[in-house]
This record gives sequence, C-alpha cells and structure tokens, in this order.
Amino acid sequence: MSLTVVKGLQSEIFVPVTPPSVFTKPTKPMKEWVVGLATAAGVHRKDQERFNLAGDFTWRKIPSDTPTDMLMVSHGGYDNSDVNKDINCMFPIERIHELVAEGIIAGEAPFHAGFMGGGGNIEKFTNETGPAIAEMFKEEGVDAVLVTAG
Amino acid sequence: MQRAIEKAGVPTICVTALPPVSRQNGTPRAAAPLVPMGANAGAPHDVAMQRGITIDALKLIETIETPGKIVPLPYEYHAQI
Repeated sequence: MSLTVVKGLQSEIFVPVTPPSVFTKPTKPMKEWVVGLATAAGVHRKDQERFNLAGDFTWRKIPSDTPTDMLMVSHGGYDNSDVNKDINCMFPIERIHELVAEGIIAGEAPFHAGFMGGGGNIEKFTNETGPAIAEMFKEEGVDAVLVTAG
Repeated sequence: MQRAIEKAGVPTICVTALPPVSRQNGTPRAAAPLVPMGANAGAPHDVAMQRGITIDALKLIETIETPGKIVPLPYEYHAQI
C-alpha cells in the first residue's frame, strides 16, 4: 500500500508532452554550406495561390531568384505589418544572397519553402507537408536550413 | 517542420520569437532574438540586425551540441503598434 498513489488521479493542469529529440549535426564547416530557408510565416510568390487563412497545410516552393517585390505573405495568425514592409523580417532571402556573395556560405538552395504555421492540421503537417519539404531540401543537396517560426 | 527536416538528415536552426513554444514543440535547436512574432529575422529594413541574426543563427548550427537547446541572441526590436 502506498499513501502517495491514488488510482486514476489526473493532473488538473494541462501538461503537453514534448516529442522525443531529433538532432543532425553538420558534416562540413559553415563556409561550405548550401543553405535553404523554410518559413512558417505564410510567404509565397505573388503569382502563387494564397494560403487559406482559416488553416492550410499546403506549402509553396519559392525560387531563390525571386525578387522581393514578387513575394508576399498570406497568414492570418500574426501581425503582418512588419513583413509587409520588408519580407526579410521573416524570410531573410536578401541577407542569404549577401552571405553567398561574400563567401560566408557557399551557396543557397534553388528553391526555398513557405507554409502557414500557427496551427491547422498538425497531423498533415507532421506526416505530409514536413516530409515533403524535407525531401525537397535533400534533393537540392542543402547542408543547412534556417527556419523562421513561432 | 524543423523536426521533419532534421529527421531527414539536414541540420536546422529555428529563429523564434516564442522560445517556450519552440521548446514545447521539440525544436532540435533554436535562436531567440528579442523580437515580436512577425519580425523573427529582425526589424524591417534594418539590414545590420537581419544580417546579424541570420549569421549568428547559422553559426549556432555548428556550435550547439545538445538537442533542444535555445540560445538567446543579443538583438532587440519592439514593434510600434
């Protein structure tokens, strides 16, 4: 008998479970990396389909040579005013161009990834969207990905 | 998303404005400048801040040795709302 154990007792406080860790170490130094960008900020080209602001697990392939005035945001979950002034706030694509030009990194992925984070169909994100974006970066030979989210 | 990319064998860094959320979601590694959600990579048109955050975040991919580690970055921006 144990005085400290009560059968079926549940916490009144919601205690979410943190998923098990995943961790991949880089295999070469930063100046040899080809870098990709992935953003949950709802970034896409102006000629691509907008995200459904009520929830959308699809994603957009963004060519890295897209001029910033051809990029836009559709996302209903945060204040878009800064990113509407300057897309680099969430999608620092011009900073990545500069790092490549200066030799701080070796190159950038031909395509980056934009999706709309902040909820939606988490199962689809985890089982379909995430692996699809990961596969694109693998095929592009990307060495590291900078993610902006949360 | 970050976890899916990391699972596929590509190292990542998440630049986050909400470090507790990133921790809860099991981020492999994250950089946390003091910025509002929506300007994670720095203030609009502040090239120096955006550049600093981008470089420092990428460097953390090389230096963080522990899964789940979130490192504060010394950049601060308060949106005028």
